[in-house]
Amino acid sequence: MHHSHIDKFAQQDSPIHRLDARAKFLAVLAYTAVLVSYHRYALLELAPLAIFPAALVALSGVPAGFVLKRVLALCPLAMMLALAAILYDPSPRAVALADWRWTLPGGVLTAGNLAAKFILAVTAMTAVMCATPFSLLLEAMRRLALPAALTLLLGFLYRYLFVLSDQAMRLRRARDFRGAALAPMSRRLAASGGMIGSLFVRTLDRSERVGLAMAARGFTGQPHSLRRLGFGRGDVVFLAAVAVYLAVCRFLLA
Amino acid sequence: MLAMHMANELLDLPTSALTLALGAAAVGLAIHRLRGQLPPEKLPLLGVLGAFVFAAQMINFSLPLLPGTSAHLGGAVLLAILLGPSAAIVVMTAVLMVQCLLFQDGGLLALGCNIINMGVVPALAGGWIYRRLLGRPESAGGTRRYLACWAACTVGVAAGAALVPVETLMGGRLLIDARDFLAVMLGLHLVIGLIEGTITSAVLGFLARVRPAVLGLSAPPSQTTPRSRWDRLAMPLPLLATALLLAGLGSWFASAHPDGLEWSLLRGGEHSTLAQPTGLAATIDRWQKRWSLMTDYTRRDQPLGQESAQNSSPPAVQSAWPNPDGWKSLAGLVGTLATLAALAGISQVLRTRRHARHADHAP
Repeated sequence: MHHSHIDKFAQQDSPIHRLDARAKFLAVLAYTAVLVSYHRYALLELAPLAIFPAALVALSGVPAGFVLKRVLALCPLAMMLALAAILYDPSPRAVALADWRWTLPGGVLTAGNLAAKFILAVTAMTAVMCATPFSLLLEAMRRLALPAALTLLLGFLYRYLFVLSDQAMRLRRARDFRGAALAPMSRRLAASGGMIGSLFVRTLDRSERVGLAMAARGFTGQPHSLRRLGFGRGDVVFLAAVAVYLAVCRFLLA
Repeated sequence: MLAMHMANELLDLPTSALTLALGAAAVGLAIHRLRGQLPPEKLPLLGVLGAFVFAAQMINFSLPLLPGTSAHLGGAVLLAILLGPSAAIVVMTAVLMVQCLLFQDGGLLALGCNIINMGVVPALAGGWIYRRLLGRPESAGGTRRYLACWAACTVGVAAGAALVPVETLMGGRLLIDARDFLAVMLGLHLVIGLIEGTITSAVLGFLARVRPAVLGLSAPPSQTTPRSRWDRLAMPLPLLATALLLAGLGSWFASAHPDGLEWSLLRGGEHSTLAQPTGLAATIDRWQKRWSLMTDYTRRDQPLGQESAQNSSPPAVQSAWPNPDGWKSLAGLVGTLATLAALAGISQVLRTRRHARHADHAP
């Protein structure tokens, strides 16, 4: 079946792909933290922060349309927050750009600020995820002192995510073909319970089989990977550049 | 049901650092406890169950009375019931991390909050309440299991949701009144808890028949037990209880605001056109104010610069909020019961008409 694989671009090659996963993860974390630290009426101050996600998207070779579609799909929640801001804060606030000055309701500024922060953070995150295979990201998280048990577990989750989603889709399709929409409520409920229950039983059995198969191949709970992370000179330069850029944005331009 | 992942924008840096540390501590403890229960090569297999949570969330269920909407399982309480709270916390953490990293559902800095709200609290509270109410699994009937499920899901989900306003308030990022937000979140999650409890109990009913061992049963319950009067009450009882809780909450909420329009005008009148303090001094100043605010924030008369318009509701409204004389609550309860009866009547009429129509079309 068809999935919209988020990391279908992760195996390509680009300057961003070649960076160390740790460097990319730390850069996005720092970027998000700086983004969140702006006060709620900051709107024009956020403009220079758009450079980082735009550069990531451009350099990684991920189609901008793909990133845009993902951002739009996630937007409704942020738009709800922004709308609430417009309704709740009518106090006027001054905005100044060079010589022009005008006043806007604070709620409108807050709404713009929320929307901008959300879009920028999601774009940066999506671009990095598109340029990093999940296995390398897990390796990076393990090196960054996350417990090995957790990263290994995340690896298993990712490995079986699409397998079990397929199974759930098949169950759902079977239910819909049998005219579940016409059934009374109690029957539909029982059917959902049965579907999730049988999915759980099958998952337990599957994990049992996977465990046996891995034990037979000598698995002792330690991860092994052929992929090596290398923190090279390019990564140092990248991190330093991001740090300088963020500092300039936050302290000189804001 | 619609998952309420918090976004980065609802938090500030100290709060997200604090919640990330708390979440990490809870998960570390859960992993430590699991190490004692599971052999090391079995622990990663919990990841397959994390994939199960994703898959189970795809099985949607169209809601009665609300056409066009559909609900799905959250999963934390179900996992806590089936695998125990420690495993549930670890699995939900992995699920939330993948949702955050791969699907950008919930912010990176809000991950700690989301782990606490949607993983740790529902798993601990829900699992504990379920075990408490169920008693011995062998002797518990279907009705008792359903009620225990409902209570566990309602308390677990609502307790997690109640933390969202608290965390937002700590960061000073709250746009609306904290108590309004709390009332809305609690109300929404009472309904979500009812749905989650009903689906969870349907799943447990299936598992009791097919795989009794996962529920701690030695044999499937016999099918021949006669349905008692109590059993027929089982479905409406949580519905009624949720409606009553909602009504109590709603009237508590309504008594807080003398009048919606008047209240919004009260707020709109307080314009603050203060210039933003900038620079390092202002940052330090804000930090100081924040920490003094956390020791007793209700006494703060001059709130942080830009938040002034939001947090300064007049003292009259504040003191009137928890309405001590229960008349409005009583009126709310009676009104809800009447509405519920009317809804039940309408749905009954609609159902019989639909059945009649189907009977007509049948050759």
